[in-house]
Amino acid sequence: MSGGASMKDIKLRIKSVESTMQITKAMELVASSKLNKAKLRVERSRPYFTLLHQTLAEIAEANTEFSSAYVQRREVKKRCVVLIAGDRGLAGGYNSNLFKLAAEKMQGAPCCALPVGKKAVEFCRLHGVEAITGAFSLAEDVSVSDCFAMSRLLCEGFLAGEFDELMVCYTNFVSMLSQSPAALGMLPLSPKMRRRGSAAPRQLVLYEPGSEAVYDAIVPGYLAGMLWGALCESFASEVAARRMAMDAASKNAAEMIEDLNLRYNRARQGAITQEITEIVAGAEE
Amino acid sequence: MEQFSLQIVTPDGVSFSGGAERLVVRTIEGDVCILANHVQYLTALGTGTARVTVDGETRRAACAGGMLAVTRDSGGKSSVRLAATTFEWAEDIDAARAQRAKERAEELLQHAHDRHEQSVAQARLNRALTRLGAAGK
Repeated sequence: MSGGASMKDIKLRIKSVESTMQITKAMELVASSKLNKAKLRVERSRPYFTLLHQTLAEIAEANTEFSSAYVQRREVKKRCVVLIAGDRGLAGGYNSNLFKLAAEKMQGAPCCALPVGKKAVEFCRLHGVEAITGAFSLAEDVSVSDCFAMSRLLCEGFLAGEFDELMVCYTNFVSMLSQSPAALGMLPLSPKMRRRGSAAPRQLVLYEPGSEAVYDAIVPGYLAGMLWGALCESFASEVAARRMAMDAASKNAAEMIEDLNLRYNRARQGAITQEITEIVAGAEE
Repeated sequence: MEQFSLQIVTPDGVSFSGGAERLVVRTIEGDVCILANHVQYLTALGTGTARVTVDGETRRAACAGGMLAVTRDSGGKSSVRLAATTFEWAEDIDAARAQRAKERAEELLQHAHDRHEQSVAQARLNRALTRLGAAGK
């Protein structure tokens, strides 16, 4: 009869859900332990990240010298996007949210990209976006010196005119529970629109030895610092998103097991009842 | 002496944040000294010993790469920001390690084959010498 077969089926399903739950639980634990480290790294790198960004933004705002190529705004024929995503999936909406934003930012002009992370490399291949280099395909292993290498590559490309605008797409680590994808314009270093009639008169900045030399010396380091900061933020976001996703998955699995257990017991009871009825019916004859 | 607000950060964290009277750093052009009420200023850093004076006491550090910016907010208060690639206080420097790094760099410099290798080795040597210089009294 059907009761026995379905009992066996249910038992099998319970087993498979249980083993899946073991995996999601383990992934959650791994993500939590990585998260602690990543969070510490974000907290340490954040002052540098914000200070660099703020200072350069203020200086670019007040800038009146455009002798360095890094501050000259050119017609945008090609845009370059540094895409910082994860190496693996199963992190909730982490990768897809970022790619949605990136796709939006990539509209309007031909684009090339510097993908960081396996998923970013895949995204570029899928959408036919030309990748400058695939050397940074593992987001987890990128170090500060890799950021400097990236920055050198990007500066060379920018100066050679391979692209006219550079932006970074990464994920901001807002808190353990919330991460938001963001895009930051990096090069050229001049604000898109000057605020007209802003209250403070523009103050002149003294450059030593000269604005061109200063920008040429600062920009590669600035870019590397920003990339490193964005990378720290992104990595922390990834593990936080994964931890959350795995936590939810484990909870769902536990719920499913409970439900399946109930069904199993019901099927077992049904089988016993049927057996008794059959025996009683046989005795009466 | 009048103090100004000084922030020193590196990718590894905040090295200093607070009031200071005097800051001396090596820029790409040579040493500069920043005092309170400095004009708005931007320069790139070289590799060298940095000195920070707080309440008459001077601390030394090995500093390499990055930038130094003096900005003024709308209230006219100036703040000095130093974003360095590396910044190590003298007391945190492992002198023995720096000495080993120096010897290694010297050896590399002797066996350098092309200009790139040579410049890498030279930069290493400079960093090691700066560390030793900052750590030594």
